[in-house]
Amino acid sequence: MKIKTRLALLSFMLLSAFGVAQTQIAGSVVSEDGSPIPGVNVVVQGTNNGATTDFDGNFLISASSGNVLSVSYVGFVTQAVAIEDQTTLSITLQESFDELDEIVVTGYGTRKRSSLTGAIAKIGGDDIASIQATRADDALAGKLAGVFIQNQNGEPGADPKIQIRAASSISGDSNPLVVVDGYPISGSLVTVNPNDIQSLEVLKDASSAAIYGSRGANGVILVTTKKGRTGKPTYSYNAYASKSSKYVGNIFKSGPEWGEFAEKEIASGNWDMSQIDPAFAQWRIQAYKDSPGAISIEDWLFQNGSTMNHDFSMSGGTKDINYYASLGYQNTEGVVRTQGFERVNARLNLDATLNDKLKAGLSFNGFVSDRDIVAHDMRDLLRAYPVHPVYHTAESIAFVQRLDQEAQSRFGFSPFDNGYRGGDAPFNNSIYTLEPGMTAQDWHYGRANNGIGGSGDAGPATKLDNAERYQKTYFANVNSYLEYSLTDDLNIKTVFGADMRDTQDYYYQGLEADSKARSTQTDLDQIDVKRMSVLSETTLNYAKVIGNHDIAAVAGLEFQNLYVTGTTLRGTNVPFGDIVNFNLLNPADVSISERKETISRRSVFGRIQYAYNDKYLASVSIRQDGDSRFGTNNKYQIFPAYSIGWNVHNEDFFTSESVSQMKLRVSTGSLGTTSFLGAYNSLSLLNPANTAFGTGYLIPSDVANPDLTWQTNTETNFGIDLGFSNNRYNLSVDYYTSDIEDILINQSVSEVLGTTAVKLNSGDVQSSGIEFELGAALVQGNDFNWTLNANLSTVNTEITDLGGLDELPAIQYGQSGRGPIFRNYVGGEIGEMWGIETSGDVEMIYLEDGTRHPNNQTGESYVVDQNDDGVIDRTKTVADGGDLVKIGQNTPDFYWGLSSNMQYKSFDLSFQFQGSQGGEVYNIDPLYYGSQWSGRLVDSFDADDDGLADHNDLPYLGNRRQLDSGIQDASYIALRNLTIGYSLDSDLVNQVGISSARVYLAATNLLYLMGDDYTSYNPEGVETTNSGYAGPTTYGVQVGASPLVRSFTFGLNVNF
Amino acid sequence: MKTVYKLFLTMLLVVVACDNDLDQSPPNIASSDSLEDFGGVLNAAYFYQLGSTSPMAVMGDFRADNGLMQEEPYPSFDRFNGDLVDMEDQFFGPFYTAMYKSILSANNVIENSSISGQIAQARFLRALSYFKLVLVFGDVTVNLSPSPSTTDNSILARTSASEVYNTVIIPDLQDAIAALGNDFSEGRATKIAAQALLGKVYVHLGNFSSAESQLAAAVNAASGAGISLEPNFADIFVNDLNSEIIFATQISSSVPDEYGFSDFWSWSGGLDTKSLEPLDPSLIAAFDASPGDLRRAVTIDESKMASPKFPQTGGPEHDWIEIRLADVILLYAEALNNNGNSAGAINQLNKIRARAGVAALDSSSLSSTSAVNQAIHDERRLELAFEGHRWFDLTRMGTAQSVLGQNFDNQYYLFPVPLSEILVSKGIVKQNSGY
Repeated sequence: MKIKTRLALLSFMLLSAFGVAQTQIAGSVVSEDGSPIPGVNVVVQGTNNGATTDFDGNFLISASSGNVLSVSYVGFVTQAVAIEDQTTLSITLQESFDELDEIVVTGYGTRKRSSLTGAIAKIGGDDIASIQATRADDALAGKLAGVFIQNQNGEPGADPKIQIRAASSISGDSNPLVVVDGYPISGSLVTVNPNDIQSLEVLKDASSAAIYGSRGANGVILVTTKKGRTGKPTYSYNAYASKSSKYVGNIFKSGPEWGEFAEKEIASGNWDMSQIDPAFAQWRIQAYKDSPGAISIEDWLFQNGSTMNHDFSMSGGTKDINYYASLGYQNTEGVVRTQGFERVNARLNLDATLNDKLKAGLSFNGFVSDRDIVAHDMRDLLRAYPVHPVYHTAESIAFVQRLDQEAQSRFGFSPFDNGYRGGDAPFNNSIYTLEPGMTAQDWHYGRANNGIGGSGDAGPATKLDNAERYQKTYFANVNSYLEYSLTDDLNIKTVFGADMRDTQDYYYQGLEADSKARSTQTDLDQIDVKRMSVLSETTLNYAKVIGNHDIAAVAGLEFQNLYVTGTTLRGTNVPFGDIVNFNLLNPADVSISERKETISRRSVFGRIQYAYNDKYLASVSIRQDGDSRFGTNNKYQIFPAYSIGWNVHNEDFFTSESVSQMKLRVSTGSLGTTSFLGAYNSLSLLNPANTAFGTGYLIPSDVANPDLTWQTNTETNFGIDLGFSNNRYNLSVDYYTSDIEDILINQSVSEVLGTTAVKLNSGDVQSSGIEFELGAALVQGNDFNWTLNANLSTVNTEITDLGGLDELPAIQYGQSGRGPIFRNYVGGEIGEMWGIETSGDVEMIYLEDGTRHPNNQTGESYVVDQNDDGVIDRTKTVADGGDLVKIGQNTPDFYWGLSSNMQYKSFDLSFQFQGSQGGEVYNIDPLYYGSQWSGRLVDSFDADDDGLADHNDLPYLGNRRQLDSGIQDASYIALRNLTIGYSLDSDLVNQVGISSARVYLAATNLLYLMGDDYTSYNPEGVETTNSGYAGPTTYGVQVGASPLVRSFTFGLNVNF
Repeated sequence: MKTVYKLFLTMLLVVVACDNDLDQSPPNIASSDSLEDFGGVLNAAYFYQLGSTSPMAVMGDFRADNGLMQEEPYPSFDRFNGDLVDMEDQFFGPFYTAMYKSILSANNVIENSSISGQIAQARFLRALSYFKLVLVFGDVTVNLSPSPSTTDNSILARTSASEVYNTVIIPDLQDAIAALGNDFSEGRATKIAAQALLGKVYVHLGNFSSAESQLAAAVNAASGAGISLEPNFADIFVNDLNSEIIFATQISSSVPDEYGFSDFWSWSGGLDTKSLEPLDPSLIAAFDASPGDLRRAVTIDESKMASPKFPQTGGPEHDWIEIRLADVILLYAEALNNNGNSAGAINQLNKIRARAGVAALDSSSLSSTSAVNQAIHDERRLELAFEGHRWFDLTRMGTAQSVLGQNFDNQYYLFPVPLSEILVSKGIVKQNSGY
């Protein structure tokens, strides 16, 4: 017996040792589009016998008939291939739509999505590049839950506002940290070419972002750029050209249109002309109608824009080194005259395997941009007088001279030339010396009391022709890493890099741009700022799977220095002439200031991530940061985070057929913010200036504060991820609450103190929100497939403490006294707009002279006396006995996005909707376009001057006095992008040596639905540059925002 | 060996760029606790007076009967109701800010400087700033510290005007008089300027006996210090440091125009869109009542309906005249008259009339004190037109309503406090009634 067993065992062993007729099988693995995949794992199931495909996708393996080969690779569905008698195999792998297999980049590492416990949103690079946006961040709008992109300045190339979840600061911006390939860059996402992006992850909650410690509170955007792959070199070329125009039609009437409108209104009795000499009114209206060359200013200022974009990239590699290189160029001409944006991007990524223990890499990114900015306030240009042409013609000159003669002879007015207030020669000071081609100015047509009524302005062409503004940016980022495998599971990686960003701002305003030709209003400014950062980071990374335990850990040290140097030259009294040069200015008129700042940071951090049997997940991280910007008492702080997760679908008791994934996760942690602090805010610095008696030391704008410290954001996130029908349908819901303490507040103080604001850490804000993300692979057929993605996010913020105060001092912000009163108080949101409630407009019939200026309104409204005390008090709320009520707030109730991708054979169709609901904007533009020139109400409207309209006893106020008539709905629904593409037949293009080619047509902002009461060009625009702007506490006012752009594009993608 | 090699490599990788220091301070800017010479701070106190030039010019002449605004909402200056609040951003706000910054700088010098000459100049500037604030707003916040509390709002409570005069303005000027000299070469504060200002303050308070002694001292010391009436009226406004100027706020194109007020003359000159023809016809009538007046051609231009008083010769170089000898002489005349010495008053008045080419007044034709006062005031109007005096003269006499021919409450003698100050003080600073 024993011998038989032994013999049986022996023969069994012998058989297994040699196998049963084992043969060598040669195979190749390709992906669906035919390209070979290197690095694929081919394993004989149940054994350790395996192979990997080489860079041609070929492999050799020994197997016998009956074996099953398991072929697997990240991002593809694992295939099982049964072996029969063949000696060759050809395997095509399908791309996996299963999210669980997705690799997600987290801070300082990567993790499989199924093991994630935090809230991280991911988007592929192709989804970003497929939106033809000037900048990568503009393309993110509506794509990710919890990420709100607002184009607050509509000019091409301008930085949008990016807010991840809730605003974390009261006084400064909430810009997220941008990390490109592991390097936190000192620029914005504009420096990354959308075509270079492989994937973009947004770390939203505490546990994912806490590893970035004091810079993580606003969320972190991780960008991973494309790397080369082992294989034949591939080359791709993407190009597109667009034509664009402003979306909203003309708002104003031109002079002739106004003339006709005025006649109709007078005829129907809507206007009261009893105070005006009818002959004069008739003469004026006729002049409006007859004025040669009269155009609405919009027809001159706005134009058709265009964009041209070319991108080239090349990638490939051997088994030792692989590379990715790209070059991109884009040139955009804006829809407003003199607006433009031009950029060049270059990138080179090299990754090398030096030996089986050392890996190294080097990457370089360069970026140059030139942004031409409209040099004059658009609100000021748009209130031009549409009765005259922009440039005079012979007819308009003759017309003007005739008007002058008529004015003097028929009405006894003083000559129009008296209205000239400008300087002496070479400026033209008489309408009798005008020549065709000179700019038309308001006084050429007389003033309100001696002509048909201009404003004395210099005219839009004079202003714009004599001013120039641009911004040039030069950016370079060099990064290198060295990774050494100490053991199989432990490696040490060191990263060393630097980046430099040089911004040049130039502004020139000439003598002629000012209607009074005042030399003191001229400007020649040049500001150069160079920001350089140097980073050194070393991390120890450990990853091991022991049975059912999957452990990953990282520990690191980081040192970063930022250097800011800059020179500012400001000149005034610029002499008149064609050549503009600082050398021509009087040295006393040029003020020079310099800036030399150093900021140092030092950090130590660590994180452990653990998964048991892919069921129970946990992660802990901790980071200590030190920063030189803070007061001597508070330079260091520690930021911990914890999170746990449970993959319920992997449990034995979970047997649902339809639900293929159910994961519950909770995370909590604390993060810090420093972003908007200057280098030396904790010190009090003197401010030297030139005075009549020599150098004077002006009042310093900072008060020394040795206790200046971090803001700390503690956030908790609850999330559930569900998958249905084998993860064809996915739903993620996240609910988060965050508590921000020690908020840095620019506390407004009285002018008696010499400074308008003092920085203190004294506040607490709580926020919460819900995010939904839905993904559905609706149809997955051979010829037709269709996927849909949708997201919706809400944000609620409440101020809970202001360091003992009930509210921060209210600030009235806007333009020259117009604009709401911003109140920030305990129990309210950040940046609430308050004002006086109106109950209707004062009717045009009460205007003394409706014909006086085109496009005018009365500019007055009936207001509500909230407490019936006969006094309209604009300084106190109703609760305190005054009449102020809350009139609006800019933060939306919710924002959402919907994108769809359809593919039918060679055609593809995709569209992206995006919207925001519930936000409001205080639109100051109508106060200038419509009522700046409105003149007076008739005396009989309020004869006794008691502030009450005589005919209905209602109190009334001018619209410029913080009334709610300025509030307009900033909600919108936009069809951001619609693209139809056609991929040329691959056999056809292969004949020419091209591996694939696609052409497409696209439209941006094809449809844009705005709120009913919104009257300007761009509901997303928010003013942030007027003096007195105090960050989010005064956010929500719109003054002359650049218009929304609709464009049509034709594009081409070619791969060689 | 291998382990040692590994450890060495590890350490090498870690110790790359460890040079950073968390204590950073700027290499090129001084900080305020290291200051020893306060001359620069004193220069700043002078500099901030620039923030009062256009506001005083507009408040002084356009609210009264010398100038007219034309473009809304500026004509609110010609109306005596709550409309004036619209002008806050353009005038009252910057004025308020600049005066308090001048006061802060002065406080810093007074408290910390060791040079008595600097302290005396600072006292003069502080008194001048508070005087202007009280004239414009009435009750005002008093701050005598260079670093007032940033958290305690109670320090902002408005002190009554009379208390400000008695506890701040008058004591400061008295101290300044004791320590200042009479060097007019640079344009800094002098003893005569302080005496003249103190005299003016007393006149505003109605304390004519104290006024007379101060003004007499100033007038008598004038010639010895090189101050005398310019023989040609027009010359006063052409050369900046001419012999009649006692104190002026220096304006030149090389000093940064932080407030945009260097061109205060553009208002009276009809160069600002808001009032292209600012001349009030009643001023023309006033000159009509003074035939042969040499000041007429310098002060008004009827063809342009504007004032050519400050001729434009390339750039903002005109200083804002705070105090000149003619002003002091007229105040002296007023003080003498109200103290019963009408003959002495008329004597002084005639000095001005002689320079203006007008016939001397005869004490027999003017019998009562009030008649002489009327003559002095009419003379002040013609002499000091468009220099920011008229409105404040009318309000101190209480004759604004009758002269302007309008019926309004005395509360409109004052101007509205900037809205931002009221908001920031959380109700401790209240708005002037009527606004």
